[in-house]
Amino acid sequence: MYYLSISKEEWDIALEQLLLSYTIFAPVENEFGQDYELMGLKDISRISYNKPKPATSLKSFFLPVKENVTIQPQIDKPRIILGVPNCDIQGLGILDEIYLDKDFNDLYYSYRRDNTILIASDCFGILRHCHCLSYNIRPYSVEKADMAVIQRDGMIILRVISARGEELTKKIPHVQPLTDGTIISAIDSEHKKTEDLLSSSNKGLPDYPGTGSLVKKANDEIWNKYASHCVSCGACTTICPTCTCFLLIDKPGFEKVKQLDTCQYPGFERVAGGEDALFELHNRFRNRYMCKYVWKPGKFKSLACTGCGRCIEACIGKINKNELFMELV
Amino acid sequence: MVNDKNIYKPLRAKLKEVIDESPLIKTFILIPEKEFSFKTGQFIELCVDGIGEAPFTPSSSPLVTEKLEVTVMKTGYVTEYMHSLKPGVFMGIRGPYGRGYPVEKFYGKEVLILGGGCGLAPIRSLLYALEGIKDKLKKVILCYGSKTPSDCIYKPLFNRLNSTEKFEAYRTVDKAEEGWDGSVGVVTTLLNRIQVEIKNSVAVVCGPPVMMKFGTIRLLEMGYTDDQIYLSMEKNMSCGLGKCGHCMMGEFFVCKDGPVFTYNELKNTPDIWK
Repeated sequence: MYYLSISKEEWDIALEQLLLSYTIFAPVENEFGQDYELMGLKDISRISYNKPKPATSLKSFFLPVKENVTIQPQIDKPRIILGVPNCDIQGLGILDEIYLDKDFNDLYYSYRRDNTILIASDCFGILRHCHCLSYNIRPYSVEKADMAVIQRDGMIILRVISARGEELTKKIPHVQPLTDGTIISAIDSEHKKTEDLLSSSNKGLPDYPGTGSLVKKANDEIWNKYASHCVSCGACTTICPTCTCFLLIDKPGFEKVKQLDTCQYPGFERVAGGEDALFELHNRFRNRYMCKYVWKPGKFKSLACTGCGRCIEACIGKINKNELFMELV
Repeated sequence: MVNDKNIYKPLRAKLKEVIDESPLIKTFILIPEKEFSFKTGQFIELCVDGIGEAPFTPSSSPLVTEKLEVTVMKTGYVTEYMHSLKPGVFMGIRGPYGRGYPVEKFYGKEVLILGGGCGLAPIRSLLYALEGIKDKLKKVILCYGSKTPSDCIYKPLFNRLNSTEKFEAYRTVDKAEEGWDGSVGVVTTLLNRIQVEIKNSVAVVCGPPVMMKFGTIRLLEMGYTDDQIYLSMEKNMSCGLGKCGHCMMGEFFVCKDGPVFTYNELKNTPDIWK
């Protein structure tokens, strides 16, 4: 891992050049915050740097809501996804474990992974429900992404992380090794500020394994209480960077369409004979917590919750999982 | 090495014959376009073109690779379509998936099999596999229960087993019909009639959830340990690949970690009988 620098002006020109060979997605500020947009030549200057998380999670670039999984996977050009917060980069870990499984490799997922360069963005500042640090995820990427980007004083600093990231820097003219130690110290200090903000806004929130123990012990009373505000809309799982459940739908010609699904919908586990372990709403509600904090940790190395807080933002019943956990502490 | 096969694409198989087993159950004999093999207890996703697919454990012998038999009870949307299919059409097969019966662990033992209703389908495949290794087994006892005598499937199987060395088969029905002079009562009542050396035995249970629950309870009462009881679990196995999440039962993906589990593996998992 090492740092490079380039002026913001030359960086923008380099991105315009990269548009010839790559499809680029990057976050742009809007009236609600920021979200990824497909970049055209005129959009490069609108890219938002180092703001905490876009509204959409990275998952949607790798697991579309709906796709035919019996035709050849296709992407017109390789992709660069720029401005990815570290919570989402870490969220890809469990997706990789599930979809790049050696026994059952998902061609569509692996094709997208192979053809996507991930440029992370350090978060300088937090949104109200960000709590990545509680789950030991830093607000900046030093692994799993290909590089990370930081905008500072008219300059762009690149933290080169992977061989693929290094390869990309060769296509960016005018990048220079960053020799000024004061800039790196300033970046470190920004990280510290963000981490302090995360710590103070999530004081007392249990860590990931601690949350698992609490969820496991929780009684029906707490699930009934919080589930009473749930309408089974599935917004929490849809927006979640690590929820990946899906349904296969048959089309004539033995074609299959894979469509994202959620355990929050009624009938998710119903079998033809009528049995349904998740028939009752409070059981479905509890299932998401058990899955993320108890069952998946027993099965996978990667985290099944990255502390991005999107499920809290998306909930129309204003259910705040962190309030639930604090009540369990 | 990563497998680059498309895991979602079914293998086409021609429907050769449909056998009526009971008013609600039919057996479909399929000829896959490519050689297809499975281990007993593993399952497949059987697909009706354009309609849907559902998981079934084949009921045929795992030693036969040129054809496949799947016994299907008409109970939902996809199986209703299946029951209307005529020989000559093509169906789709994905799989085989999951962990089947560990028959090599049965060597030198008595195998007690408790079956109910359509649960006899996977058991028939297991019985074929056990017949192939009967020299290595001490004894195989099948106890099977159906709702009524006419709901009993594979009727000739019982006489055949009873005339096969080391095999015994018993039947009971919940409700007798005219002409039935056999046992009446739930399947666990048959357990009072058999001779089994529990210490040197394994038990296999396959059937509707309520039968599996009470079957397991009875086996535990008889002295079977949690490790000696093998359960063939049924959940909504949609993808078969350990990805879609529909069959999650606690930390297990039934499709990949099962469908065959020991009771010991599942005893701390809530709602296993639902």
